Amino acid sequence: MYILGILFRRLIQGVFVVLFTALIIFTLLRVVPGDPVRLIVGGMAPDSVVEQIAQKMGLRDPIPVQFGRYLWLLGHGDLGQSYVRPKTGAVASGAEFVDPTKSQMASVGQLILTRLPYTLQLATCAIAIALIVSFAIGVPAGLAPGRWPDKVAFFISSMFVSIPSFWLAIVLALIITVRLQWLPSIGYRDLTYTILPAIVLSVEIIPFLVRTLTVSISQLMKEEFVTAGEVRGLPKHRIVSRHVLRNASVPLLNLLGVQISTLLGGVLVIEYIFDYPGLGQLTVNAVLQRDFPLIQGIAILTSFIFVFVNIVVDIVATSIDPRMEY
Amino acid sequence: MNGAQDVSIGGIWMDTLSRRDFAKLSVVGGLATLPILNTDWLVSSAEAKDGKELVFLSSEAVTGNWDPTSHTNLGQLTVEGFIYGYLTRARMQQPDTDELVYELATSYKLLDPHTLEFKLREGVLFHDGKPFGAEDVKATYEYGSLPDRPAQWYPGRVDVEVVDPLTVRLKTAKYGYPASLYIYLSSFLPISSAKDVANKTTLSARPNGTGPFKFASQDGDKTVMVANDKFFKGVPKLSGVRVNYVGDATTRALSLLSGQADITERLENEQAQDIGKNPAFVLRKSVSVENKYLFFRCSKPPFNDPRVRLAACHAINRSSILEVMGESGVKSSAHISPVKFGYIDVPEYPEFDPAKCQALLAEAGFPRGAGLPELEYLTSDGRYPKTKEYGEVITAMLQAQGFPVKLTVMEPAAWGNLLYDRPGGGAGHMIDCGWATGSPEPDLVLRTHFHSSSKRITGIVDKELDASLDKERSAPSLDERKRVLQQETLPMIARKAPAHSLFTSVFIHAQRKDIEGLFIYPNGVMDASVANI
Repeated sequence: MYILGILFRRLIQGVFVVLFTALIIFTLLRVVPGDPVRLIVGGMAPDSVVEQIAQKMGLRDPIPVQFGRYLWLLGHGDLGQSYVRPKTGAVASGAEFVDPTKSQMASVGQLILTRLPYTLQLATCAIAIALIVSFAIGVPAGLAPGRWPDKVAFFISSMFVSIPSFWLAIVLALIITVRLQWLPSIGYRDLTYTILPAIVLSVEIIPFLVRTLTVSISQLMKEEFVTAGEVRGLPKHRIVSRHVLRNASVPLLNLLGVQISTLLGGVLVIEYIFDYPGLGQLTVNAVLQRDFPLIQGIAILTSFIFVFVNIVVDIVATSIDPRMEY
Repeated sequence: MNGAQDVSIGGIWMDTLSRRDFAKLSVVGGLATLPILNTDWLVSSAEAKDGKELVFLSSEAVTGNWDPTSHTNLGQLTVEGFIYGYLTRARMQQPDTDELVYELATSYKLLDPHTLEFKLREGVLFHDGKPFGAEDVKATYEYGSLPDRPAQWYPGRVDVEVVDPLTVRLKTAKYGYPASLYIYLSSFLPISSAKDVANKTTLSARPNGTGPFKFASQDGDKTVMVANDKFFKGVPKLSGVRVNYVGDATTRALSLLSGQADITERLENEQAQDIGKNPAFVLRKSVSVENKYLFFRCSKPPFNDPRVRLAACHAINRSSILEVMGESGVKSSAHISPVKFGYIDVPEYPEFDPAKCQALLAEAGFPRGAGLPELEYLTSDGRYPKTKEYGEVITAMLQAQGFPVKLTVMEPAAWGNLLYDRPGGGAGHMIDCGWATGSPEPDLVLRTHFHSSSKRITGIVDKELDASLDKERSAPSLDERKRVLQQETLPMIARKAPAHSLFTSVFIHAQRKDIEGLFIYPNGVMDASVANI
């Protein structure tokens, strides 16, 4: 029941977080300069037509009214229709507004669902790579604080945290893909195209994971239960794998929850550079094209993922260490 | 923990969740999400791996509306170039920039100043199987010339008489301009099927032409075309063409270098130079039909005064801009590209001259710029090469002469929103834009921008300019038209300066060295009918 209680509280909080995010994004998009209707109707349409379409779409109503309408549709699972992308998938801009196909604009939900699997695949690969590397570096560093494994971990973390991801993406693509031709990375045809972007993304989060692991393990190794284990004759590898790592996994999990936001931010740049057909690339193009419904939909999904992951992290952390309270 | 026994997921009790249970849950969760995860990697696509499909990375996305008269989008014009047929084609190669090559037409004859006759090719089929004939030319031209068509490539309404199934006569007497204008336009206007023109939904929904490649699908930002095995010049050697929109120039360059694409366009100068050094690739540079302009908003102060516009032109040292552009631009001294019909280096074209600039400013009542309002100069970043960089140079040069200029750099969509003239003068005071039309016809630029019937970006209304543009359009022969253009119209535009033509773009395409037979027109449209890899 305790976990259910946490779940309930977290869900209530999560709903408020998502709603607040939606409100902020919705308002900001409507106060920035530029009229999305101009984009919809095309640059050559007269202003009277712009106004006519804007009225028809309700875009001249007060923002609270528009937001209320948006929430009502959202409550019915409708994220709206893209302003610029018809169902054919092409990007509609620079054309006339009297266009029969534009009544067939793509639904935001469908656009997101088409791209989300690619981003989930990329994020999963990135987290897997990050965890493998972090454990390989962080555990030895935590077991030998102040000695060379710790120094190596510190050096690698410092280096990784200093590298701009867009620069690393271009350099890796140039060296690994273009020069050495070991791995393809531009565009997408199969899973191999995910590896290089995932490596770049993982570099963004590895320093934080390594640092957390190192500090947690080194502190835990000073705890009484470790000394007791040694006195009872337990081998060190067993103490570390069965007890220390279990306790160290709680802060690591919490950090992973927070790092999801880094990951979601990172995919914007990485997918754009690698021409990777995921949610990040869709977001960048939506922003460049001022496709408001799409931007809103992605923002809401992103905040939902963030909230959901953190709820899962809280529950799992509580399960691992029942002493934790939320 | 009491009472927790009521809650279980897959047999795992929530109050006793262990790491093993968590692992089990993770596996169950992972399996549950499998259906939505991308499984394409299990079967790698064979697309483009046989080396027969040409993959072109475009810097501009298509519009989603396939009606050729609905847009002015260069990316879509490129796609149309693969799919549609044209009465003629203009390769616009110096020195014979006016030369036309027959395609769907086999000959043309000017019967009188207002009647142009085209004989049409027999045995040509549209991609949907319909035979091409005179009714298609009639439907296409009469529809495209309607005043409500957004592309506005036509000089005015035109009536088309069907003489026989393979002969048409374009008649313009009723609309008061010479039919000879369609000689060069015939190389630019794609021919649609009469059946499609009769059904606008079909026309907008998918392209259907007589060209070497058939539209297959639109997959996101990818336009997929396959070879037309009934193409009248013979089956293309390529199995198909795929046009991918990739907005970022660095990504386009990396994609080409890594073998993911065969050809790309609009690279930054530095990227093009690097690729040029690689023996596996070649650069194709051609003086394009595109001039880059600094358009003035002529219908509102202070640029409603031609002296202020001319003063601004004299404040700008175009050599400095060309230094920024490197190989991506060449000097030209007229408001049309050197590959257009009638081009001449206009002797009075405004060059950098601070003294003249100051004299004109003083004459207009703004000595050293005093009294001028803050002038907003709008430009885009990412749409054209180096616009932001040379925009900063122009801003500094104008400021040095006393123009209180503020540069606003926008992403292409926002810039596109503000590009065109509006009642009251449009956004800002100056805006940067290029204009590329795949025909030697100069009116596709001149009339579009500087005649009061269109005044697309400038908003200029000037009776003298209108009269001169009408005069060159109505000249009884091409020779006379060229004379009027070179001696009257182009010099007048240079004097009135509704825009300052900064330079002519050089289109740089980078491609695999082993692509043979591909021809690239000066507006970037390609002829891949005999190309092979």
